[in-house]
Amino acid sequence: MPENLIFTNKEIGFLRELKRQKVEFMLVGAAAAALQGAPVVTQDIDLWFEDMKDPGILTALRKSGGIMVPSFGQNPPTFAGDAVKLFDIVLTMHGLKSYEEEKKNSFEVALGTLRVSVLDLDRIIKSKETVGRPKDLLVLPVLRDTLKTLRQNDTKNGVPRTSRRRKD
Amino acid sequence: MRLSGENTKKLAGARSLSLNALLKRAGVSKTAYYHLIDKESVLPRSIDALAAALGVRPSALLEEADRKSRRALRLLEAADRIAGSDPSMDRDNIRHTLLLLEEKPIDRLRRSLLRARKLDLYK
Repeated sequence: MPENLIFTNKEIGFLRELKRQKVEFMLVGAAAAALQGAPVVTQDIDLWFEDMKDPGILTALRKSGGIMVPSFGQNPPTFAGDAVKLFDIVLTMHGLKSYEEEKKNSFEVALGTLRVSVLDLDRIIKSKETVGRPKDLLVLPVLRDTLKTLRQNDTKNGVPRTSRRRKD
Repeated sequence: MRLSGENTKKLAGARSLSLNALLKRAGVSKTAYYHLIDKESVLPRSIDALAAALGVRPSALLEEADRKSRRALRLLEAADRIAGSDPSMDRDNIRHTLLLLEEKPIDRLRRSLLRARKLDLYK
């Protein structure tokens, strides 16, 4: 299936390695919204790290055959290498609190046998509302409808939204 | 909706019931049963009686195409219900979200990445 040719074991292997190195991170942005059921497209997977200086990041990169390209000018640091090129580094989630605070608004999602933290959709919406770039404004109605659908769907099933989705 | 003779026999067999025993328990005559199998459409009441005798959902006795169409109908009903509660919502967004919720999270993400890649092809 063509779907299987994208986000394969290479990428999952990198996330697994980050967890093995005990790096604190969560998935945010459109990819995190897609994981929660939002019908949106995304070209990359945003990773928000609690501490970019965590040496575990470089170890995980090395073990996955990737490297870190330092920031220069307006460009933030990026990852390079086959297994990590889909990932983007997020330094700040505009409009949100600190990583530690927002961790409370995340939940775990299974990617195959790996479980990763994903920021809750309402916080992704809040951040996109704050940033307000044209591409954010374009996708916001879809994200808001997704959030309402999730809430309605769970109300019908009589299950609180977060705890139901924790089963993902 | 069309009754699946194969599913009915399989489910009866799994409960150590012969077809005759099932029909007796469901109160459906042999003639009526074979009449149901031949028909393009059967009354849900007949399906309900057989399903109750087997202790399964009526959909378990339906042909595959009927199961798919029932599932699609359920989804559209759910989309209607949600859209009805908030007219500001886009019905397509609701329907697509409900469809994606039936998939595993990893497949939702792959779909999203793949669609972006396809869009790139047309740039």
